[in-house]
Amino acid sequence: MNQSVQTGAIWGSIEVGEDLGTFDYVMTVEMISDYRRVVDNPEAAYPTVAARHPANLFYRKYGGRMRVPNTGQDSEYFNPPVAGKRITVTGRIVDKYIRRDKPYIIVEAKAVDEDGRLIEVSRLIGLAREADEPAFAVVTRKWGA
Amino acid sequence: MEDTALKIGKRLPAFTRPIVMENMVEFETVVWNRGRNLHSNAEAARQDGLTRPLASGQNQLAFLHELLERTFGDAWVYGGKISVRYIYPVYPGDSLTIHGVVTSLDNDEGGKPKVGLEVWCENQNGQKTAVGKVTAAQPVSARSWLESSGGAS
Repeated sequence: MNQSVQTGAIWGSIEVGEDLGTFDYVMTVEMISDYRRVVDNPEAAYPTVAARHPANLFYRKYGGRMRVPNTGQDSEYFNPPVAGKRITVTGRIVDKYIRRDKPYIIVEAKAVDEDGRLIEVSRLIGLAREADEPAFAVVTRKWGA
Repeated sequence: MEDTALKIGKRLPAFTRPIVMENMVEFETVVWNRGRNLHSNAEAARQDGLTRPLASGQNQLAFLHELLERTFGDAWVYGGKISVRYIYPVYPGDSLTIHGVVTSLDNDEGGKPKVGLEVWCENQNGQKTAVGKVTAAQPVSARSWLESSGGAS
């Protein structure tokens, strides 16, 4: 690792494979309708895009201490959410690395509904920073602005 | 949509979406209320060192989904994969055009045809803001998810 990279103590303490726990919620007709209106797509299949499952799980454990601005996402979609069904999300840290002198954390979340239908598996590629570091510093470093 | 197989080099019909602050705010509250943050609130953005709110990457992902739903129908919704990177900031007032082009035709592990694409969002200045790679089965006309989600909104 490049010793000049400022990863922070929290980033250093996070372990690949770490369990981020679980949460659940009901995907209501209203949520689906609201999502479709906001993205101007009356037939949108995956309102879970706005639910940000990986980030939600991460912040339940690390909120207030660390931020993981979303620099990308790898997702696979299996069955769109059914209105009225409860969705359970589980997640873990699947990787962390330094790339171009910046620390990243990869958070994977798996969403399954109450009937056992796999909804999606999504991986957040998070540009890690400690919560007290302004986003501006990280964003501008990444984009060279 | 007809059940017409895609070919390498095929450009998907592009479309344009304005980035509107009101929608950015609402995007942060649909499904989950994430409260005020740098995507939805000017003061929160300033506190984070930004000059103005920044549209979330998920906003762009939503537009890419629309491109893929239109093109592939159930073939995207049931089994589609995307890997996307957000490479340039998007602000309210920007206008994004959503693009895709077919880059490969293969078979998956089960021997079923699989289409590979490059997709991207481009702002009003021609700057790419998000780039991604997608795989899905060949398009189908079926859009069966509309039946289980209460129909089109």
